[in-house]
Amino acid sequence: MNGFKPTNKKAELLLQAADQGHVKEVSAMESVAGCVTTFDPGWEVDAFGGVASLCQPMEADLYGCADPCWWPAQVPDTMSTYPNWDAGNPSAQNDWRQLDAVFPKK
Amino acid sequence: MRPLIACALALSLFGSQNLSARPALRDYILTGAKPDHLFVIDAAARKVTSDIRVPDANGIVGLVVPSPDGKRAYVLVNRMESISGIDLDTGKQVFRANLSSGDEVVHSFFSVNITPDGRELIVHELPTKRGLNEYHVQEPRFAIFKTDAGLDAKPVRVFPAPRRVHLVLPKADGKSFYALGFQLFEYDLATGKKLGERGIRNWGRPGYSTPDMLAFWPVTEPLDVFVTPVYSTLGTGKDAIAKTSLMKLDLKSGALSYQDFEDTSAVIFSAVASPRNGEVFTVYTQLSKIDTNKGVLVDRVNLPHTFYTINIASDGHEVFVGGTMCDVAFYDPDTLKQRANLKLPGCPDQSISTLRVIRR
Repeated sequence: MNGFKPTNKKAELLLQAADQGHVKEVSAMESVAGCVTTFDPGWEVDAFGGVASLCQPMEADLYGCADPCWWPAQVPDTMSTYPNWDAGNPSAQNDWRQLDAVFPKK
Repeated sequence: MRPLIACALALSLFGSQNLSARPALRDYILTGAKPDHLFVIDAAARKVTSDIRVPDANGIVGLVVPSPDGKRAYVLVNRMESISGIDLDTGKQVFRANLSSGDEVVHSFFSVNITPDGRELIVHELPTKRGLNEYHVQEPRFAIFKTDAGLDAKPVRVFPAPRRVHLVLPKADGKSFYALGFQLFEYDLATGKKLGERGIRNWGRPGYSTPDMLAFWPVTEPLDVFVTPVYSTLGTGKDAIAKTSLMKLDLKSGALSYQDFEDTSAVIFSAVASPRNGEVFTVYTQLSKIDTNKGVLVDRVNLPHTFYTINIASDGHEVFVGGTMCDVAFYDPDTLKQRANLKLPGCPDQSISTLRVIRR
């Protein structure tokens, strides 16, 4: 954990767990409660450092990222957290105006 | 009366070609779309022959796994928490396995497949216990279901599985299956015993970096061969070269191989092996043709938009691309020119669904 500085309470707890030898309980896993742990870039920038190899158009990739919770920070996760985000809007290219931004519940 | 009713429904779904006593077999394309569609497409006619609404799909029809006889399709629905088996002649749900129960939420991340005899489904499960204010991630497992278990199917065998599995591929002899993740694992179907572990991260190619792979579409028809692009770097420092290779897994022999075909110049999501001339076709925002006899990229064309998934006619005379948006397109395998584009009724997104081909 050296080199990481916690920026919120959960991250602080993670550091404490590491100090107390409980880090295995919080280690990253492939699917955590129904979401991938993909942190690689790809939504904003492609593998070549540009945008030409991102999905074209971006609407083509919208549900492909929402349905498997692929980039949950960039696209609402319909697998677990926002299951109704796409309700009644089966076509991203036609219905994108109906797809709102989401905010965590307090 | 029941056979007559079934026959009449079959005619409505699979068309008038069933009227002849021994009709010539035709290719049908299966694909899912939001929120609950399972489409059957007559490939030659460029026509949707049935639009099946999957019960309780809950917004997504993801993975599509046809039975070996082409009479059923098993689809991953309900946000990857349920598997629905659909009779393609009647359009009725004949199998259902809801993986979650009680406070245990279970997802299967694209990792469902069927045994070659059509009798069992192999499911990689990722369970999580949900407490009042915390999650308890459980150990992953393989669950085996009987396909004749009906609408409240429960696993008949369960055994430990590795994490990070995103594809299950049955070996053609029906005795074992592969689980594809960081490594390629092989398990005994009856006992769950791990039989082997090869590649992917430890692929043992001198000078190459640890490879990267995105493989969520278990297309193995028509050759019982799975192919997928693999990305790596050859060399280090300023002399390093990004390479794209094809990983090939032969489900009959179990042979696993890697073949370079270009210095990385395009993103590729999925691939299919053609029965003609050792060709492999790949797709993303470009359609590419690779000659695996020579290990070279033969041709590449831009597509109107990104397609996630690709398949091919049983005789290799046509390439199909689909997934993502609401169309399936047909391409000439020689010229890579588009022959036709079929928009799905209502234009629902296919999203992460798999484009599969059955022969009926």
